[in-house]
Amino acid sequence: MKTPAVPAINTVAKRIVGRRDSVLARKSIRDSLVSVAGLIGRPVRDDAGRDLGKLVDIVVRHGEETYPAVSGLIVKVGQRTSFIEGARISKLTKDEIRLSSTKINLQEYTRRPGESLLNADVIDHQIVDVNGLRVVRSSDLYLAPLDREIRLVGVDISFVSFLRRIVPGTIRRRPTPERVVDWATVASLTDSTGEVRTSGPRSALSRLRPADLADLIEDLVGREQGALIELLDPDLAADVLEEMEDEDLLGLLRGLSAERAAELLGRMEPDESAEVLRDLDEEHRESILNAMAHETANSLRLLVTFDEALAGGVMTTHSVICHEGDTVAEALKLLVKNRARDVSDGVIVVDAKGKLLDHIQMIELVSTKSSAVLSTLIGPPFPTAVGINTPLDEVIEEFSNNRGSSIIVIDETNKPVGRIMADDLVDALVARTGRRGFAQGSGALT
Amino acid sequence: MSDVKKVAVKKAVASVKLPTISPRKIRLAAFLAVMGPGIIAGLSDDDPAGITTYSQLGARYGYRLLWVLVLSTIALILFQDLGARIGVVTRQGLIGLVRQKYGARSGVFSASSLILANIGTMTAEFAGIAAAGQLFGLSKYISVPIAGILVTFLVLRGSFGRVEKVFFLLSAVFLSYVLAGILAHPNWGKALHGMVVPTMPFTKDAIFIATATLGTTLAPWGLAFIQSYSVDKRLTRDDLRLLRVDVWTGSLLTGIIGFFVVITCAATLNRQGIFNITDASQAAIALKPLAGTLAKDLFAVGLVGAALLAASILPLSTAYSVSDLTGRPAAINDGYAEAPLFYGTFAAITVISAILVLIPGAPLITILLWTQVLNAVLLLPLLCYMFGIARDKRLMGEYSATRTMQTIYTVIIAMVSVCIACMLWFSFH
Repeated sequence: MKTPAVPAINTVAKRIVGRRDSVLARKSIRDSLVSVAGLIGRPVRDDAGRDLGKLVDIVVRHGEETYPAVSGLIVKVGQRTSFIEGARISKLTKDEIRLSSTKINLQEYTRRPGESLLNADVIDHQIVDVNGLRVVRSSDLYLAPLDREIRLVGVDISFVSFLRRIVPGTIRRRPTPERVVDWATVASLTDSTGEVRTSGPRSALSRLRPADLADLIEDLVGREQGALIELLDPDLAADVLEEMEDEDLLGLLRGLSAERAAELLGRMEPDESAEVLRDLDEEHRESILNAMAHETANSLRLLVTFDEALAGGVMTTHSVICHEGDTVAEALKLLVKNRARDVSDGVIVVDAKGKLLDHIQMIELVSTKSSAVLSTLIGPPFPTAVGINTPLDEVIEEFSNNRGSSIIVIDETNKPVGRIMADDLVDALVARTGRRGFAQGSGALT
Repeated sequence: MSDVKKVAVKKAVASVKLPTISPRKIRLAAFLAVMGPGIIAGLSDDDPAGITTYSQLGARYGYRLLWVLVLSTIALILFQDLGARIGVVTRQGLIGLVRQKYGARSGVFSASSLILANIGTMTAEFAGIAAAGQLFGLSKYISVPIAGILVTFLVLRGSFGRVEKVFFLLSAVFLSYVLAGILAHPNWGKALHGMVVPTMPFTKDAIFIATATLGTTLAPWGLAFIQSYSVDKRLTRDDLRLLRVDVWTGSLLTGIIGFFVVITCAATLNRQGIFNITDASQAAIALKPLAGTLAKDLFAVGLVGAALLAASILPLSTAYSVSDLTGRPAAINDGYAEAPLFYGTFAAITVISAILVLIPGAPLITILLWTQVLNAVLLLPLLCYMFGIARDKRLMGEYSATRTMQTIYTVIIAMVSVCIACMLWFSFH
């Protein structure tokens, strides 16, 4: 499995514990940590100390807060499994749970949206360790009193803590705070409904580089991949998608709704989206395209039809095109309007019939009077242009001859239809020469 | 912009036709057809332990117990298929999934079962290499350490991928049993009868050999391997159909080779009154109708090829499964310090099994058979876990097992249980 080099877990834990904003840095919290794995199976008693039953699971409610609060207990009373509201808990220690009254209203537990069961849904499940940049399994969870409620504050991902759980007796209940990682630095992605159940890590995840996020997503299970994507800001999500391996991306798209897939693909570079769409089966491709804005969908439909070995297949349709009669001010305005689209290096100028005249660099535009007409700026050096059906080899040839950062792609009537950026070419070259398509994987299994 | 769009629409009409099958699909199909995990597992199942067990089945009981092999093959097909499905759908290894679904103790228990079973099978591989060496007069104290070092070196240095094909071809020698079986003029009527009419001599020995047949055919390591493989190679649901073709082919191949080994031995050894095989040279006699005096050499080559193939994959697959338990499947490209459990398991499996075989006077054929019985016993919990995962709708979604399949899995698990229960009963009476 592809895993980035990470510091040993203890280092990560120390770094986090050492952080001032972490609740685990507070001594009162560290001293009152209760291991969830150790608590499961312990007695639940009423205020007089009589056994009511044994603890089966702990329910937490996810909301806006970083540390989810305990909203209830699932307790085995006799042969029945019942739910007890969290408000009834008067005392929670590593050995037992005391309730505040003798009268307990036993009720069936039915899963409610926004809640998860710590033992059934979180312990031993995969979580994303944001600091360590990897997918791990949680060995134990820790509760502590915080802001007048009992909250999930920490998670233990060490293997030693996992092994502690198979040992009978009190060892399994003993907390090991030195290995605990702040709950705010992980993203737990599963629950019964497949909905995302996490709050704090949203910002933590957003601090990661798209390439790192892409690696994380590739390590996750299908449904959780979608969950992690949902956590991200759409623009970041689109960047992450661009960084993913084709196969994983296809798998991910299959798990998303057409609308969500359309939204993300619409935000990606058109040539990258087209590359993905090309690999989908026709039905799926059309369902995604139909969910997009009409204009975006049409330009993608065109791109999809091009052979990957030709200029049209690697070009992006993102470019700013102006008429020779437009002014510099208008050109700059258009550039600003399209700033999200990575076209900031200049504008393409065409004549009245739409034929390519020149590409005017940004530096020329800003150093010229804003009322000047673009036609006055036309002149050498002229941009390099290739036909839409030019084989990739010739495009590469042109690139290396001219040393520019982009090439304009024109159709047979000389109208500009897109551009090939240097990075598109790098992608195309990598796809051709390097990656062994099928035999990836860790190499662990031949 | 509008001009560009007009061009766009015009060009779209004259569009290049879309490829219908992606090149990757073709590559994958080609790969799976030749060297897929199902076929690798299938041929590795016909390792020294497999061949010896099947030979014993044929030599001692003629055609009578062929039905055990038929049932084992059906179980193999169904559970390998299930393993592939679980791997592709959940994208988690078997042991990690058991930990997630059944908790820490079950996770450790299943990992321990797998390690124990795999040490057993690895011992059998080394025993096979020792037996093959002895056919050429090579002492086991030379052949086994060499094989151990060779396998470790190849796998850890990453050159296994290249050598794998050689082992693969060597083990394909066992296909010659198909020819040998035909040339030995078996009694086809009796063979057919043995396949479909279950009869069971209720003796300790018969139960023992039937259990070993089950354990060698439906080996625990194969189940974990097929699942880890599809996770590690990131196979998707779209690849599932191809993967299943591969798994079915590989499993059938195991059954077919096993079948011909049994009938060859039934038609030669059993008819000549050799009922008990005490060393590999006797099992080689079965190949005489085909290869004459070459029989011994042919048998030895096949034995070494299959043993090396399995001995390369076994420690690797086990180490992968065990590190899966930690939540982070480690791999070959991690350093020793990063993945101590991975390399520790790898070393433990190889070293312990080599030592077991090298104990002076160790009865190789008995070791081979016993390890396969151990396999069958340790198989049971793994089958139960897989069954539980298969019917879990939250994990498997639309791929969860149907009612019918659940019934079939239950029947198989029940049969394995009965088999083991009978064997244990005989062991204590």
